Amino acid sequence: MNVTSSGTTGYKVLIAAAMASALLGACAVAPVEPSGAAEARAKLTRLQENPNLSGRAPAAIADAAAAVQLAEQPQADPALGEYRVYIAERKIDIASAQAQTRFLEDQRAALVAQRQNVRLDARTREADAAHAEAAAAHEDAAVANANAAVLAAQAAELQRQIQMLDLRVTQRGLVLTLGDVLFATARADLRSGGTAHLDKLVDFLNRYPDRTVRVEGYTDSVGSVAYNEDLSQRRADSVRGYLRSQGIDAGRLTAAGMGENDPVAGNDTASGRQQNRRVEIIISNPAVAALQ
Amino acid sequence: MKTIPSLLTSLLAIAASGTLLSACASDPPAPTAALDAARLAITTAERSEAGRYAAGDLAEARTRLSMADSAVAQKQMVQAERFANESRTDAELASATTAQTKAQAVNAEMQHSNGTLIEEIQRNDGVAQ
Repeated sequence: MNVTSSGTTGYKVLIAAAMASALLGACAVAPVEPSGAAEARAKLTRLQENPNLSGRAPAAIADAAAAVQLAEQPQADPALGEYRVYIAERKIDIASAQAQTRFLEDQRAALVAQRQNVRLDARTREADAAHAEAAAAHEDAAVANANAAVLAAQAAELQRQIQMLDLRVTQRGLVLTLGDVLFATARADLRSGGTAHLDKLVDFLNRYPDRTVRVEGYTDSVGSVAYNEDLSQRRADSVRGYLRSQGIDAGRLTAAGMGENDPVAGNDTASGRQQNRRVEIIISNPAVAALQ
Repeated sequence: MKTIPSLLTSLLAIAASGTLLSACASDPPAPTAALDAARLAITTAERSEAGRYAAGDLAEARTRLSMADSAVAQKQMVQAERFANESRTDAELASATTAQTKAQAVNAEMQHSNGTLIEEIQRNDGVAQ
């Protein structure tokens, strides 16, 4: 019995020992660092080394660092290791998101400042533009005043010339009437010494080069109409020739013999006939009349 | 003489294995605090519109919370606590991601409106000059 029972006891001991070692084996294999812990550490290090983020969520980063440290502990239970790595990974992500959020909030201040600067800039430029506009308006006014002064001076000068030459202002233009003193009776060539008045006219035409001239010859009613027309034409041509000889461009000059037409006085008296014998020089008004 | 030490040895061995068993498969009470924390974190995330901005993490948090509840029902309290803690960090991550996404949207909108303002001013300058 004893031997038998001792033999049975021996088996029992063996079985118990085997059970214990099996249980021990299941519970405590060689402890290793859980897989994924190294990756979590690397991720945490990147966050800690990011200058924009590392200082912006200190509590969450410390929390993540503690979780990583726990996850790195050699662990015989793979499930526990996996769990700790999972928690560590999530905590790093939370810290990163919080730091990013804070970073974005800090950038917002710069965006607000940028907006204010842009607005201020715009207002400054608007004010500058308004100034420039006002200055330009002043300048325009000054130019207009100067132009007006020039025009007034020109008008005054023309008036002076008209008076000096004894010109009549008519619809056709400025009219200068030269009496028969220019020519000898029945002659068409200019008397020497009778050209003083024509020389003043030459000065005037040189001064106002945009004006053209029509020379019209007139006679009294003595003699035939044909003769008078021919004589008046030759006299007009003679005056035109003189003006050309004084340098007035031929393109500005025309001459016409009007004969005994358009008398300015009666032909029945000597003084009336003398008034009718004349040369009229019509100076055109320029396209934009200076006198108005 | 031989039987007593044998019996002692076997008793010791059984006691040892019992101790080891109890150390390995503890049966603590339900992890109420961890479960409550997970539920609170999920509610907080939902209020911050995480369903719109971090739907994946929020869904993960809900899944793990229900896994934690199942583990409690099966008396696997250690597992239940781990699932609850995982659920909580998922929910907290959903909240953090939501806040970040919203902040990004606000900044992008400000950048866009600043850009529009600058363009508008440049266009006005172009007209004025």
